[in-house]
Amino acid sequence: MNRKACITLVLILLFCSSFLSQTGTKKKRPLPYEYGRVVINNYSEQGNLAPVVFEHWIHRAKFTCRVCHVDVGFAMKAGGTGIRAADNERGFYCGSCHDGKKVVEGKTVFEACSNPVNSADAKRCERCHSLGKKVPSDFDFFVFSKPLPKERFGNSIDWEKAEELGLIKPATVLEGASAGRNALPVQRDFALSPKVEGMPDIIFSHKKHTVWNGCELCHPDIFVGVKKGTTHYTMEDNVEGKFCGACHTTVAFPLTDCQRCHSKPVHA
Amino acid sequence: MSQPIMIVLFISAGLAALGGTRAIGGPSLRTAQSAPVKESWQKEFEDTCSKTQDAMTFSQEELTSLISRCDDLQPQIEKLDETRKKVYLRRLKMCRGLYAYVLDSKRNEKK
Repeated sequence: MNRKACITLVLILLFCSSFLSQTGTKKKRPLPYEYGRVVINNYSEQGNLAPVVFEHWIHRAKFTCRVCHVDVGFAMKAGGTGIRAADNERGFYCGSCHDGKKVVEGKTVFEACSNPVNSADAKRCERCHSLGKKVPSDFDFFVFSKPLPKERFGNSIDWEKAEELGLIKPATVLEGASAGRNALPVQRDFALSPKVEGMPDIIFSHKKHTVWNGCELCHPDIFVGVKKGTTHYTMEDNVEGKFCGACHTTVAFPLTDCQRCHSKPVHA
Repeated sequence: MSQPIMIVLFISAGLAALGGTRAIGGPSLRTAQSAPVKESWQKEFEDTCSKTQDAMTFSQEELTSLISRCDDLQPQIEKLDETRKKVYLRRLKMCRGLYAYVLDSKRNEKK
């Protein structure tokens, strides 16, 4: 092969490799106000409506995870609930709060869906069915987050600290949805050893997790292992949305915030 | 019977039927939010599933009994309208799942 042919071949290979390297899907890191956003499109477009854009940050400031994902019954995966307008009209799912009657912080919560729908309702529908639309909101993320303690990732809010300081007070029950129950007993925290040498142990706070989630949100659907140490979790699993990743890739602080979990001091 | 009376009776029957159909689903729940009138299955559901946070403190017998109560509730919930069936079957699954999980955990402890 002559020199010219060799150079041409090398150039072709270089071109192809650079092209191939761009074909992977790069996941854009969400901005603080986008983190936790869920787009729901089970039936919206079938009904000639834009998909629903659900902002977790507004809702998690007012309710614990358990209220919505246990008592109200929202699935843990986007689109997993299969919410229909009729469900909301009957006072379930979004309609559990968004019924046009409940008053939160002095404001009447707008009604999620109603039947019949008339032209005057269009703006109300758009408050949720807003994907691709510029819909004014009653809540401004930057105004809301300004007084709250900061974090590096996710919503850039340290939600746990915000609650500790009394800056947010997420409700633990929702009238009409939550079954009357006792306060949660305090759970013991425990350490988990990572497989990678030199990586600090994970301090898993059972206490923090049960306060917001209760027990049945995690067991047995997300964490099926009964005995500590019987289920082996990998970071790959977490990244794929299993185990810790069920929340810590979507709503709770993300997996990139290593020190939040790998927090046990390493002693030489 | 004269024709106007027949028409009035026919319309009244139709309206009553429509009212009855609506009462099965949503509007009754709207009322339920302001003045809750709970059906027997709902009372049983709440009584059974309001104890999940105490699951760890129950004996194996108590957990087995709670699981059995969940199993008895399932056919009753399956008869409800589509919305309530969807909501409460999921909630029941979570509640039963936890009791079964804790029971397994307690059985394993004894081994």
